[in-house]
Amino acid sequence: MSEEMKKQEIYERYIASTHHIGRILTIITLVLLLGAPFVIGAYLGAMPNMAAFGKAMLAIGIIYLISGIVEYLIYVPMLGAGGSYLAFITGNLINMKIPCAMNAKDIVGAKSGTPENEIISTLSIATSSLVTIIVLALGVLLMIPLQPILQSPALQPAFENVVPALFGAMACKYYKGNFKVAVITLFVMTLLFTLVPSLTGSTSFMIIPSGAIAIGLALLQHLKEKEAKA
Amino acid sequence: MEILSRLNSPVMYIICGSIVLFVAIVCIVFAVRAYRAGKAIGMDVAKMKRTIIASATFAVLPSVGILLGVIALSGSLGTPWPWLRLSVIGALHYETQVAEAAAEQTGLTSLSASQMTPEAFSTIALVMSTCIMWGMVLAFFHCKAYTKKLSRPAEQAAGEAADKTSENPKKPAKKKKLDLSGFGDKAMTAMFIGLVSAYIGSYIGSLISGEGLFTFKGSAVPLAVAIVGAAAMALFQYLRNRFKAEWLDSFSIAGSMLCAMTAAIFLARIL
Repeated sequence: MSEEMKKQEIYERYIASTHHIGRILTIITLVLLLGAPFVIGAYLGAMPNMAAFGKAMLAIGIIYLISGIVEYLIYVPMLGAGGSYLAFITGNLINMKIPCAMNAKDIVGAKSGTPENEIISTLSIATSSLVTIIVLALGVLLMIPLQPILQSPALQPAFENVVPALFGAMACKYYKGNFKVAVITLFVMTLLFTLVPSLTGSTSFMIIPSGAIAIGLALLQHLKEKEAKA
Repeated sequence: MEILSRLNSPVMYIICGSIVLFVAIVCIVFAVRAYRAGKAIGMDVAKMKRTIIASATFAVLPSVGILLGVIALSGSLGTPWPWLRLSVIGALHYETQVAEAAAEQTGLTSLSASQMTPEAFSTIALVMSTCIMWGMVLAFFHCKAYTKKLSRPAEQAAGEAADKTSENPKKPAKKKKLDLSGFGDKAMTAMFIGLVSAYIGSYIGSLISGEGLFTFKGSAVPLAVAIVGAAAMALFQYLRNRFKAEWLDSFSIAGSMLCAMTAAIFLARIL
């Protein structure tokens, strides 16, 4: 058997065992993550409310199901087998894992779809995940003495407005370059919430019509652009 | 605030910390296997070492940004749970949105420790865990087949496609089809525009009609906080482009949120 064939066989065995181990570790992580709320519920003396869980999943779960499928289809070709299992377990894909893996790939000059890319991508994602885990663990340790300050009543307005703070920042990010779609969608939603104030209690359900309006407008714009180019 | 003491208790640190530790071990297992396989197939060890060093240094700044996210969420969900979520699987924008939507369904008016109950917390935690699991589920069921398909030579795939066409030579070609190429990214962006618009629309609607139709007596704080968040993000983007400081991207969301949250302390007193 030639040296090249030997190497190919080693690599194929590595990929097969990566899928095997990746699947086992993925399912264990899933069980741990889905089990944790129940363990915490047992500790707090109140299990999750399944009716509220169902409603929340219906309202916002659909959005993340779609984005999850899209992300999966886009990222797996970039990351390879080992990198994909690890990236989906460790998260923070778009803000860290993908750019980090691409950066490593560029530095060593690995080409997509090659064994070299598979190894580099796995090493890169594993290393960056470990760094995040260490930085967060150290940060959380340092935060423990700060707990009384973080819980002081003076700071409560800050923590009660986490969500508006996030959506303001995201609005700036997503509205830019999509002005028409954003303005029309925001106008329609504002009108609805103004005329039917009780809808404020079901904002998460209103994401569905709001998303549908935005996607419809984006589709119209996209088709127009294609037509103009043709 | 009794709930926050329980959410920050040693038991919570043990539950969340043990999962974080498990995932750290998973990372080590994958890294060691990849390194050994790389060596076995004759890859340059120096390249692999360079990858490790480059990735470690690359990850430091975004990790600090993620830590700021833990701080932002710690006031409403305690520290251990956001620590777990952002160490494993999560992302700041996702966690906050999902937690807010789940809080609403459990009867809370906002994601805040002052209203939090044990049942609301465990429900929020379950929604946060479930909503983002799809990547893992798909990887479990489909990654092997998908990567196998991707690794096929392009000529083989093209040949199969040509075979399929020749099997049905009489099948008429569709006359006109909507050209949706390149729409995927735009649809994702539009979906997030819809999501953001629903919440900002609700802040404006609450201000105008929250205390009676067109009375303008509702709380202006959420809207003002959102405006500060947007302004801070605009500043981050300006500085990034002006000074070509790409590293600022790692801090833009968490940094904008912390600016807006700090402003909320003062805005709540004025408005």
